[in-house]
Amino acid sequence: MNKQLLVAAILAALGVQAQAGTLGDGNLTISGFGTLAAARSDTDTAQFARYNQAVGVKDGVRIGLDSNLGLQATYQVNDWLSGTAQVLTRKNTSTSFTTDLTWGFLKAKINDEINVRVGRVVMPAFLISDYQNVGYANTMMRPPIELYGQAPLEAMDGADVNYQHAFGDTNLTVQAFVGTSRGKLFVASAGGSVAKYRAPLGGASVTLEHGPVTFRLGHASADMHSSDLTPINTLTATLKGAGLAQLGEDLSLVPGKRMTFTSVGATVDYNNVLVQAEYAQRRAKEAVYIPQTNAWYVMAGYRFGKVLPYYAHAASEGAGTKVKVPAALTRIPPLNAAVTNLLTAAEQSSDLVGVRWDFAKSIALKVQVDRIKPKVKSGALIFAPAAGQKDSVTVVAAGVDFVF
Amino acid sequence: MHMQIKHVMAVLAAAAMAAATLPAYAETVVIVSQKNPATRMFAEQASQFFLGKSNMFTPIDQAEGSAIRNEFYQKLADKDAAQVKALWSKLVFTGKATPPKEYKSNAEVRKAVADDPKAIGYIDKSAVDDTVKVILTLQ
Repeated sequence: MNKQLLVAAILAALGVQAQAGTLGDGNLTISGFGTLAAARSDTDTAQFARYNQAVGVKDGVRIGLDSNLGLQATYQVNDWLSGTAQVLTRKNTSTSFTTDLTWGFLKAKINDEINVRVGRVVMPAFLISDYQNVGYANTMMRPPIELYGQAPLEAMDGADVNYQHAFGDTNLTVQAFVGTSRGKLFVASAGGSVAKYRAPLGGASVTLEHGPVTFRLGHASADMHSSDLTPINTLTATLKGAGLAQLGEDLSLVPGKRMTFTSVGATVDYNNVLVQAEYAQRRAKEAVYIPQTNAWYVMAGYRFGKVLPYYAHAASEGAGTKVKVPAALTRIPPLNAAVTNLLTAAEQSSDLVGVRWDFAKSIALKVQVDRIKPKVKSGALIFAPAAGQKDSVTVVAAGVDFVF
Repeated sequence: MHMQIKHVMAVLAAAAMAAATLPAYAETVVIVSQKNPATRMFAEQASQFFLGKSNMFTPIDQAEGSAIRNEFYQKLADKDAAQVKALWSKLVFTGKATPPKEYKSNAEVRKAVADDPKAIGYIDKSAVDDTVKVILTLQ
């Protein structure tokens, strides 16, 4: 969808909303969600961050890791048409808090089972991708980075279609989406830099719900383009200078490289037992510097009234590369080392324990302790020592999630 | 707790003696409009609409924090108010659904349901009249 059209649609929706707000005709809904939380770790040698965050936490208390605020307005135009806009303020690829339009779409209800949304929607790559920023809707404080860090794409401009049908006691939901994701990638190497990306993408998911069990299978394919990814572009130029232009081209995102994200996940909410588990793969469909990865996590919790203690384990590992390194590269040891390192996936595992306490209406208190074990290339930790972060890192976080 | 039970017992005994009729326990009933063809429903089916899993019917809610609402979700789906809120926030903030409209009293819920052939609501059994149909009684 082109940008002007999108902006026009949102402005139109907001204009209608402002008018409706003053008229108070009951078709406008304003709601919001947020998290106010503080976190710190036990080390000053590396930083623990959410995926794509330009700054993480060290051994000082910070509120930027988990704190956010989302505001949403929905205007119901008539029986079948509505408009929704959502802005989210958080720390992402910038060192300060920034606000982005995360959702902005017109939704048309075709019938009781099918609806189509056009505009900006979140790309539902994994089980909780589309509500990962809504702390109140989640048990854990943040999505496990081992798995959720595999896909850098969030919002996309395009369209999706949702089909919902009940087969007896089983609910089937099918979602298909197509569009283009545009955003920023934070690259922690060499002191940190930000690159813009553009990724035409498409995908689908199938969700089955039967009683307390929800099962979801999702697949997405994205053509990743980035022309200002400085560290990679520099390497590509160096390789070209060394007579290895093809290798440089293979690593680069300038020509666009297709990658896929496949996930299978399930949640069980039976009596007081809560389980959430997911396995996902990131694959390259052509040669690219981004390593292929596999990741998974399992979370289990038990509800004692309003108090829900939980434990989770998450892990990520490399799954090879599509890049064929020419034998000639071994004759240039420093370049060989740089390319080999680039093509190696960061690996880590973590264990976390936490508790969610729904102590008041629409507010939950959470305390979570993560123990991160970096295995290869300092795992998902950022600004780690050049030799790699070898020691485990403990991160303690506490805060409140709310909705209104 | 004991105090409450004693109190209830005393009230029941007094009521039985005074009126010689059995006091009605607070029973919640699920209702639809007389214009709705549905005649009966299981709790599992009704919970699909109130938990946002199906759009076939439009759920109408009682006021947040009200006793009837808290008891309703407990009886219908074994979920407390916070669990229901978390579930709906998933749907609301991903643009999948808008939360049920809320009304402050049994009479207002009854009117909203009576006026909309697709609506489904719940009220105290004592508030039922012939503008609505009871399709499920929750004990």
